[in-house]
Amino acid sequence: MEISLAGLAAPIIKGIFLGGLYVVIALGLSLVFGVMKLINVAHGDLVILGSYLAWAIMGWLGIDPFLSLVVGVPLFFVLGFFVQKFIINRTFRISLDAALIACFGISIVVQSLLQIIWTPFNRSLLTDYRLVTFAVGPVTIQLRYLLNFIGGLAVMIAVREFLRRTYMGRAIGAASQNEPVAERMGINPNRVYSFAFAIAMACAAVAGVLQGLTFSFSPASGPPFLIISFGVIILGGLGSMAGTFIGGMIFGLTQTLGAYLSGGSMMIQMLAPYLLVFIILSVRPQGIFGR
Amino acid sequence: MKIPRLTTLAPIAVLVVLALFPLIGIPLSWLNYLFSFFIYLALANMWNLLAGYTGLICLCPHAFVGLAGYTLAIGTQVGMPFQVGLIAGAAVAAVFALVISYPVFRMKGIYFAIGTLVLPEVLKQWFNYWQPVGTAYQGGGAGYSVVGLAGFSLENKYWLALAIAAAAIFLVYIILRSKLGLGLTAIRDNENTAASSGVNIFRLKLISFLIAAFIMGIAGAAYFIHNPKIQPAGGFGISWLLLPLMATVIGGEGTEEGPIIGAAIVTFLRFLLADYGAWSLFIQGIILVVVVVALPQGIAGLLRQVGAYHLPQKLYQAAKARIHRT
Repeated sequence: MEISLAGLAAPIIKGIFLGGLYVVIALGLSLVFGVMKLINVAHGDLVILGSYLAWAIMGWLGIDPFLSLVVGVPLFFVLGFFVQKFIINRTFRISLDAALIACFGISIVVQSLLQIIWTPFNRSLLTDYRLVTFAVGPVTIQLRYLLNFIGGLAVMIAVREFLRRTYMGRAIGAASQNEPVAERMGINPNRVYSFAFAIAMACAAVAGVLQGLTFSFSPASGPPFLIISFGVIILGGLGSMAGTFIGGMIFGLTQTLGAYLSGGSMMIQMLAPYLLVFIILSVRPQGIFGR
Repeated sequence: MKIPRLTTLAPIAVLVVLALFPLIGIPLSWLNYLFSFFIYLALANMWNLLAGYTGLICLCPHAFVGLAGYTLAIGTQVGMPFQVGLIAGAAVAAVFALVISYPVFRMKGIYFAIGTLVLPEVLKQWFNYWQPVGTAYQGGGAGYSVVGLAGFSLENKYWLALAIAAAAIFLVYIILRSKLGLGLTAIRDNENTAASSGVNIFRLKLISFLIAAFIMGIAGAAYFIHNPKIQPAGGFGISWLLLPLMATVIGGEGTEEGPIIGAAIVTFLRFLLADYGAWSLFIQGIILVVVVVALPQGIAGLLRQVGAYHLPQKLYQAAKARIHRT
């Protein structure tokens, strides 16, 4: 197979754009992990729940998936707030393992609920701009991948500004840096956890729409996204927005370049991100930029 | 003559009664339920050994089950007797555990959980494409059948599963009363302190990991002798993780009787909800969340809390006091 520079340009651009999607998914996971040191194993399924919600609203009202976020984001925010308040905060007092198992339970509940309501068939968000492509020089760009990148950038900036400028954002930052001290400064950790989880869910709603525009999805598509976004946050380092961004790009590139260099093998494309996560974990268990 | 204590006699009596079940003409459907119960029991006991006594939240039982099942299926396809395939499957699962042990034990706590969660996903993808033997219609997503099982009746399968479950329980019993068990619980409670007290953390974790992988593998392979068809989605399905996890958490993590109680409940739920498809998983998930929130010590913990184990003794004493009074 001939590997040319022009041939490489397409997968590289696609990979970077795809990385935007991974950044949005990973941001939610990273916020929860940063504050609670808990991997929310239901995060991938919550993203798929976001996709299905957008799909349902689209089918019902016939509006654009992005417009459906007007309903989806607040709904997910409130849902996340209460899930954290009534389930995870309670298990968190027992142990971290109990919280992990509770998240696993939520993941099973969400997956089966999706299957009950929307059957196990593959769906996708079919919009009229889904298959639009345009050429920049010799490279053809698919609009949906570009939207991923723009979406990733927008969500990242929004979350960053929230964390910097609002009281709750700073409280989340303080709690993730040093919780006992933050508590002595009058920050209620349970409240911070609830807000962090709520924001993570709001990110999942946005990620769901972007994901649904890019790939087709079924109730079982959640776990791969969990593993990829976990890889992104350990690669990028905790609490570092820029790190998460770069991590997302690296994962997007691994997938598209892996597929390109192996001659379009589906197996390599599927396996490459998993292997990358596993290798990073075993070489540097605390992450590349981890403390 | 020394009379054995009730606590040693009772399990033997239960075992003998269970072993006699097929001979006294119990309905076949009951044998079927009990077969599943024994398989889940073995899995739950091993998961409890890892999570409850070693502190390893291992999210990859489906990797062991799937690998063992595939070894059995492919082995019988190339003409291996299924008895050999059963042992070979368990051995392959243990070898896999050995291979991954070095990288995964570098990870601690939650990283270990995610690291192990990745593995079955990788294996599932791999087996979706891999076609080592057979025609074009076998292997890959279509999976393999276990062949050469003619003459191996349900009774035999029942005894096989019973033996595996009894071995799993007995093994955990022995381990907990040995130096190994002491070392494992020390690792669970505080890894650094255990290391500084001279516990060889890596070796002990590896031993318990290998034992768990072997028993989970043999239990999985036994399941696929009963249901002789394996596909990537079934063999590496998340339900193989959900079963032992739920049984252990509901029954009580870190207790010997917990997995037994939990496995009974999980088996009951499985067959009760068998006709409802996704609802079954939904209800199991809800139960899992509720139990974690409301009963963090599981049912065994609750029983210990209310002192249920001392109830017969208390009743006996109360009765004695009453007789004395009259």
